[in-house]
Amino acid sequence: MIQLFHITKSFEGASALSDISLKIDKGEFIFITGPSGAGKSTLLNIIFGSEPPTDGQIILDGRNYFKIPRSEVATLRRRIGFVFQDFKLLQTRTVFDNVALSLKVMGVGPREVRNKVLRMLSFVKLQHRANFKAMSLSGGEQQRVAIARALVKDPAIILADEPTGNLDPALSIETLELFKEVNSKGTTVVVASHDKNLIERFGRRVIRLENGRLVSDGR
Amino acid sequence: MAGSLKGANLFYIFSDAVRSIRENLATTVLTALTLGFSLSIFAVFVFVFFNLRSVINSWGDRTQIVAYVKDSPDAALMREAVMRVPGVSSAEFVSKDKALSELKAELKGHEAILEGVDENPLPASFEIRVGGSYKNPAELTAVAERLKALPWVEDVQYSREWVEKLSAFFRFIELAALFIGVFLAAATIFIISNTIRLTVYARREEIEIMSLVGASDSFIRVPFFIEGVLQGLIGGLLALAMLAGGRLILLSKIPPYFSFVVSSPISTPLLALILIATGIFMGVAGCLISTGRFLKA
Repeated sequence: MIQLFHITKSFEGASALSDISLKIDKGEFIFITGPSGAGKSTLLNIIFGSEPPTDGQIILDGRNYFKIPRSEVATLRRRIGFVFQDFKLLQTRTVFDNVALSLKVMGVGPREVRNKVLRMLSFVKLQHRANFKAMSLSGGEQQRVAIARALVKDPAIILADEPTGNLDPALSIETLELFKEVNSKGTTVVVASHDKNLIERFGRRVIRLENGRLVSDGR
Repeated sequence: MAGSLKGANLFYIFSDAVRSIRENLATTVLTALTLGFSLSIFAVFVFVFFNLRSVINSWGDRTQIVAYVKDSPDAALMREAVMRVPGVSSAEFVSKDKALSELKAELKGHEAILEGVDENPLPASFEIRVGGSYKNPAELTAVAERLKALPWVEDVQYSREWVEKLSAFFRFIELAALFIGVFLAAATIFIISNTIRLTVYARREEIEIMSLVGASDSFIRVPFFIEGVLQGLIGGLLALAMLAGGRLILLSKIPPYFSFVVSSPISTPLLALILIATGIFMGVAGCLISTGRFLKA
């Protein structure tokens, strides 16, 4: 499903990732871990295609991401649910609108949008906040809106960058259980996290990065 | 614009545009105001230039050469000969009698001057105008020389100096207008594009987020396009209203013989069309170029 070949990324000469090769199969659930600044977010952004690698290739669903025309990038992104570390919510819009946006850009009809969004909001326990503006929510609530927005479109791949960073332990476990459930239906899940306890608890494949290098890959 | 638009998409895009206009009402109005003021300033300049030009042109259209001729009953024949001289566009015969009655009219109230003048001392003449390129000083001299060569022409009068001055003045006005026009057009475009760029810049995060969740370029751009059309339309109408209002105020303040300054060189519907079309073009182009910049980033 996702294949990285010798990915290198540097920002203004400073190396963020060096020579990362990786294969993630369809339906897999993996963690990417490592200390802050190890390159976890950069790796997710490169897989998502929002940041080009300095060197190397990415094959996503059998296609070279950086060789497809711009018009198809949007189509590809609709199949990926990304939970951004900084949430990237439209602050002046309601929780409902933020989650609905994922479906609207796909051309889903208004009634289906309503049903799916409300179901997903109750899934992340935010149904009572549906008409609140994103900016009025706490960090943890915003994070759950971001998760709902990523999951609502039944994506083929979930990429989540520190999705539990603002959640208490109980809610963190609940969120990962949510991902597990989605994964059991065939969605590939890639979670970047530095929460050791959480990672150990779920006992999945773990890719460890340090200083931009892949230092271990296994359970 | 890339990507296809489905029915549901169109519904979302339009409702999005309406919501966005409502949310950004202050910026929409401000941009429209900037557009309106900039367009009307430029239009005022164009008006003043065209009106000045037509005034100067009308000076040049006055009688340029007077040819004094021996009085003769064959005025029609003489006129034909005058008209055959290359460059002459019109020639009006002024008989001795007509010249005298014109002089009397001009001396109204001072008729005493003419007392004691038994015989009409004024010669008959042709008031001649030249056309097109013959108005420049060198050609005008050549025309005058040719007229002088006609056997029954006694004398030819034209003001070479006046024509030369007028011609130089006209060239200066045109050059100055070109310079100011280019400068003003550049300033207008700069102000409008910057205003629009700032309003789009304020929403760059929205553009980025929509792009990240998989919105096609057209899904993102169409609401901006609609807003651009609206801003342009309001801006164009504002400019039209300001010009019309300004004209009315000026007309009531200035003497009637100066009213040409505020007359429009083109018809009002055409002016409205040009202003609104320019406003919409600038609004749309500004929005699309600015969003394009953020989409590519």
